[in-house]
Amino acid sequence: MNRLTSIRLIAGREITERLRGRATWILTGITTLVAVGLIVGPAVFRPPTRPTVVGLVGTSAQALGPALQATAKAAGVDITTMNVASDSAARSELAPSQTTGRSSRALGQLLSSLQGGQATLDVALRVDTDSASIEFYQTVSPAIAALLRAVVEEVHQRDVLIQAGVPPSVVGTAQQPEPITTLTIQASPSDFAGRRIAALAAGILLYVSVGVFGNAVASGVAQEKTSRTAEVLLAAVTPSELMTGKVIGIGLVGVAQMAITVGAALIANAMARSSLVPSEVWVLLPAILLWFALGYTLYAFGFAAAGAMVARQEEVQSVAAPFTVFLVGGFLLTYALIASPDAQWVKIASYLPPVMPILMPARLALGHVAIWEMPLAVLIMLVSIYGMSRLAGRIYANGLVRGGSKLSWLVALRLR
Amino acid sequence: MGLLRTTARSANIMLEISDLYQRFGERVAVDKLSLAVNAGEIVGLVGRNGAGKTTTMRAVMGILQPLGGSIRWAGHAVGLPDRLRFGYMPEERGLYPQMRVLDQVAYFARLHGLEAKAATEHAQKWITNLGLEGRELDQVVALSHGNQQRVQLAVALVHQPELLVLDEPFAGLDPSAVDSLSDVLRAEAARGTAVLFSSHQLDLVERLCRRIVILEQGRVVANGTLEELRAQVPQRLRVRVRTSADWTTALKGIDVISKDSEGALLAVGPGMDTQAVLRTAMQAGTVERFVFETGGLVELYRQLVAN
Repeated sequence: MNRLTSIRLIAGREITERLRGRATWILTGITTLVAVGLIVGPAVFRPPTRPTVVGLVGTSAQALGPALQATAKAAGVDITTMNVASDSAARSELAPSQTTGRSSRALGQLLSSLQGGQATLDVALRVDTDSASIEFYQTVSPAIAALLRAVVEEVHQRDVLIQAGVPPSVVGTAQQPEPITTLTIQASPSDFAGRRIAALAAGILLYVSVGVFGNAVASGVAQEKTSRTAEVLLAAVTPSELMTGKVIGIGLVGVAQMAITVGAALIANAMARSSLVPSEVWVLLPAILLWFALGYTLYAFGFAAAGAMVARQEEVQSVAAPFTVFLVGGFLLTYALIASPDAQWVKIASYLPPVMPILMPARLALGHVAIWEMPLAVLIMLVSIYGMSRLAGRIYANGLVRGGSKLSWLVALRLR
Repeated sequence: MGLLRTTARSANIMLEISDLYQRFGERVAVDKLSLAVNAGEIVGLVGRNGAGKTTTMRAVMGILQPLGGSIRWAGHAVGLPDRLRFGYMPEERGLYPQMRVLDQVAYFARLHGLEAKAATEHAQKWITNLGLEGRELDQVVALSHGNQQRVQLAVALVHQPELLVLDEPFAGLDPSAVDSLSDVLRAEAARGTAVLFSSHQLDLVERLCRRIVILEQGRVVANGTLEELRAQVPQRLRVRVRTSADWTTALKGIDVISKDSEGALLAVGPGMDTQAVLRTAMQAGTVERFVFETGGLVELYRQLVAN
């Protein structure tokens, strides 16, 4: 029987047994629900945006309605205007406490607020001959305040100039500003916030999944060792076939679980039309899967060696601790990366093999990776994986059928 | 298989271990050990704990690489392709606890080169043969110790091995399981399989084995059929005489091993005149018993290891 057949059989057993086990499905279900929940939740529970309602008190203010609408439109501010007869009426409309007297009314209020557009005013504008006032209940956005002020001033100037004998056409021209051109030296991506979230999500996902499936390899190996199944297996296959088959089998289950979780999250993101994460983020899916495959393989060989060093199943966590520390390090560096994506040291750190599988997809999500960087990074990973498989293979073969207490890394590395 | 029942030991050697040497740290586990197993022959490895039985078997199965010596199969150095035709039952049983019985046996059959369909058929056959019918879909962990042992044996047998290496296969089995396992081993040998097994149950070894190899401190101290082993130790003569006096004082130049109510046990040396012993006994009183004792393996083992 050739080597590939053995590896295929061993990987096949891992896949079959894991798919048969309930733990795999429960884990997939929980991670998928959490991922979908995190995306859909904010979209469902975020109150819908509605235009700011400006109450125009008195005829002078009401005359400003069209100018106010036009200026707001030009400034990209969403407002609606409402004519209000008197100051007292405006005040009662401004104060929400006065409008929520009865529960049925409160419910109506809530429903109408969810539907957007309601009778309550956000701000009231009153214009007299030589003064104007803006009233609001608690706060008003500076943009709205500035907008109202600008319109009032513009109309005031216009009235004064026309009264002084300036022809209205000249006044109109004077008040029509020259178009201002804008030039952006370096555009900040309009979806920068979304990209940061995507980068963090990619970092968390890779940190968690490489850790979870790496540990699955370690405990699988430890189980074969402590149950002495390894002894029967090694009578038919080589240690390297056994290790490779196990790593591939658990890895394929991992890729499938990741694809389900990430795929469901992306579909949820597209359907919820969440403005937080740009829907184009789906291009990250293949990148996340690629980096999971690379990162997982690198770590899985190490975790396999760790599993072969234990004497009892409970020792797996402590023996595998060095790998967990590297993974946590990679995860923490993701925060540094998001804070300063262009920092040179972060770029350099992202080329260190133990943290590369977490940092590279995060950099990719941020859009801060040059085209040539990806193939280089993949190449470095492949070389590292080869080195790791050789080193881990030696420890694995030595440890797997060795009796006695658990091995330390130093002793394991020195073994023939 | 008539050929295999002849005494021509070298005629059909399949497994040949020569000068095997292995040590763990300072402790020498196996010291220049040599033995052979013929096709269709059941060879029993006997020895106290730490005598080197398990180390020898693990070396045969390639689980450890010995520091010296050679292991040959059918005339050439043994390799992985040969080992795929070996069946192995380690001392500490090794099965996937959560895996179903049928899947597990079929899986090991496939690892030994059987196609999927044949693997399942053979697995089912052995599960039935070993009395596990109806437990195919149970997880191994749900079975009793004895039944787990049967599954382990099925794993060793499922690919129709040419060599069976069984480390303590009878340990922990009830008498009926011992009988059925003995029958299986006899049938396998009759099929031409070479069988090497170790056991502390010497009565079983005596009953089952064509040949017995006794190990002590990593060395072979005896190797042969039961008759050949008997020839290696002095014969003993049991004589009981009805007399109140100690009649053995009259024996000259004869080693008296023991004296008790069963009579005197005398070591039979070369050139010993047994008729003279009989005459001496008759002069002392009525001779109630005068027999040559051919000890069982237990007795032989004690004598051979003591020597």
